[in-house]
Amino acid sequence: MSRAKYLGKRLLMAIPVVWLGATMTWFIIFMGPIDPAARLLSEGQVRNPAAYQAAQTQLGLNQPPLQHYFDWLSSLLVFDLGQTWLLYQGSNVNALIMDFLPRTLWLGFWSVLIAIFVGVPLGFYAGMRSNTVADYVASMGGIVWRAMPNFWLGIMLLALLGSSEAIFGFAWETVGPDLLTGISGNPDLTQLGTVDGFLRATKKVLPAAIVLGSASMGNEMRIGRTAVLEVKNQDYVELAKVKGVSKRSLVYKHILRNALVPLVPIITSEAFLLIGGSVLVETVFGINGIGYLFYQAAIQGDLPLVGTLMYVFILMIVGINLIQDVLYTLIDPRVGLEGD
Amino acid sequence: MSETLLEVENLRTVFHTDKETIHAVDGVSFDVSEGETVGLVGESGSGKSVTARSVLGLVDDPGVIEEGSIRFRGDELVGGNWDQHRGDIAIVFQDPMNSLNPVYTVGNQIKEALRIHQGLRGSEATEKAVELLEDVGIPDAARRVSEYPHQFSGGMRQRAVIAIALACDPELLVCDEPTTALDVTIQAQILELLDDLQREEDLGVLFITHDMGVIEETADRVNVMYAGEFVESAPVDELFEEPRHPYTRGLLASIPGRNAEGDRLPTIEGEVPTSTSEPTSCRFAPRCDYAFGACEEVHPGRVRVGDVDTDHEVACLLYDDTFEETPPEGGVEAHGGESA
Ligand code: SF4
Repeated sequence: MSRAKYLGKRLLMAIPVVWLGATMTWFIIFMGPIDPAARLLSEGQVRNPAAYQAAQTQLGLNQPPLQHYFDWLSSLLVFDLGQTWLLYQGSNVNALIMDFLPRTLWLGFWSVLIAIFVGVPLGFYAGMRSNTVADYVASMGGIVWRAMPNFWLGIMLLALLGSSEAIFGFAWETVGPDLLTGISGNPDLTQLGTVDGFLRATKKVLPAAIVLGSASMGNEMRIGRTAVLEVKNQDYVELAKVKGVSKRSLVYKHILRNALVPLVPIITSEAFLLIGGSVLVETVFGINGIGYLFYQAAIQGDLPLVGTLMYVFILMIVGINLIQDVLYTLIDPRVGLEGD
Repeated sequence: MSETLLEVENLRTVFHTDKETIHAVDGVSFDVSEGETVGLVGESGSGKSVTARSVLGLVDDPGVIEEGSIRFRGDELVGGNWDQHRGDIAIVFQDPMNSLNPVYTVGNQIKEALRIHQGLRGSEATEKAVELLEDVGIPDAARRVSEYPHQFSGGMRQRAVIAIALACDPELLVCDEPTTALDVTIQAQILELLDDLQREEDLGVLFITHDMGVIEETADRVNVMYAGEFVESAPVDELFEEPRHPYTRGLLASIPGRNAEGDRLPTIEGEVPTSTSEPTSCRFAPRCDYAFGACEEVHPGRVRVGDVDTDHEVACLLYDDTFEETPPEGGVEAHGGESA
């Protein structure tokens, strides 16, 4: 089986996953114990039969359940996501998501990247120098860093950066690109095309991204260290050494690529956690991302919006899974070929 | 007489663990000349693989070559001078499943050696790699060269490992149980291949195995290893005809088909002890049928037996004239008995 065929198969297999996730969401939201229509109306309106009727019609709840289910599913399929009820009342959900999602993706992008570019090299470094002082320091640091809760780390970081002038002697706002709108809040993603705009938007989410990526960083470090330890004593590494391969090539060609194989699922599963974790971090850092939107929708009881966002999350997770499969096929030639 | 390639003298390799120091190789000496096959035979745990790894400079932390000398064509290797002779000594490991790097093509791994040791690149290297694969008996080599190790069977992989070894243009080949993991029929093919290559290239071979039958077929000279020491060394015919050490006798008696009388194969009870201290007795004494009083108190030195020109040495007190006890049945007697 070729790699393309393998990826095609994975893509096909994603379809039932999305369908099942969406169906479960529909069942929980519309067939659950809470009547979404009643929940959307204020105390006074619930008692007004006309208003209740109107809400029911709008949500399509007066249809037979099966019909409603198919309608709901097909409108998700074509991304006709309707409008909101409570949150940002009456806005178009598509527009809302297009507004909120990029901030979360931007934050997620940097937190995944920071975790990878700090955690993985540190883990590899510790693994290559196992049981030395450098290894102990790196490993201990990783564990401590990993153990710090997100929200606490976020608050501490904000406190430090907020008074950086007094503590470190320089102001975080003015190092590099100026942050005129304060150290937390929404990154301005409209200017990403320009160098300055890119740096500004990056600097804005950097503290949040570090906090969000902290747990992943620790995990990736730990797994990276173990992976290197395991690979570096493999016969093929020793064979390469006997062959006279240079130390550099031994590390970069023979050890690291193999050590990356067990890291791929770790990195991608960390990316899932970011979706949940972003709710907390977005709240602490005042970033209006999709996690924040979901949280608001859930506590205010805008169930149709919750359902729609669930669908978006499902698509994101399935998307990450597909990226994982692509990475696998790039790193490990055995993928998709086993069991032929 | 052909030139001596490898001279190992009084090699001691120890492993420092938290609790104790393990004397894995405890003062062994041997030479390997051009075109000669020197066998190292013993049970698992006898130290034969550590001897091979020491010769290749693959002993790492917590292991260390504590004493002794390993010279290749006169150059001392102990002390980290393996780099200047990388490629001159090649290895074939026991497990072909692990000897090839899974994420690179077989051709890539052969070409890597060709680039380092023969300066070949590009299509020239590819041609040579195909040629080498043909030499080691891989059919359809032109296609196989761009395949990954997992597309090769066990026997094919071992052939590919041998091709890599040849690409280094070695003078000495270390074979660490090269056929143990393979089917019997494939075992015979690989042994034949190694034999052919040795004759063509006039290679020196250090052949390590636990299998007396394989040793009889391949080796010119045999060292029997027990608990880190050579307990008997002799030319192969001499060893098989007139084994002196009780351990060697035990090993020979346990070869199927060698022993006519009785329908059960005799075995040597117990297992190889781990040496954690300087020897004060014969390390084989607890398992030896011929042990007598002095065996518990004196560590046997190596004694020369047989004709002066056969170069047959044994480390057993039965052959030491200072003791009353004489060798057991079978008419095997110590000739001379001059201390070596
Ligand atoms: S020295 Fe004694 S115990 Fe050791 S092999 Fe010889 S007879 Fe056996």
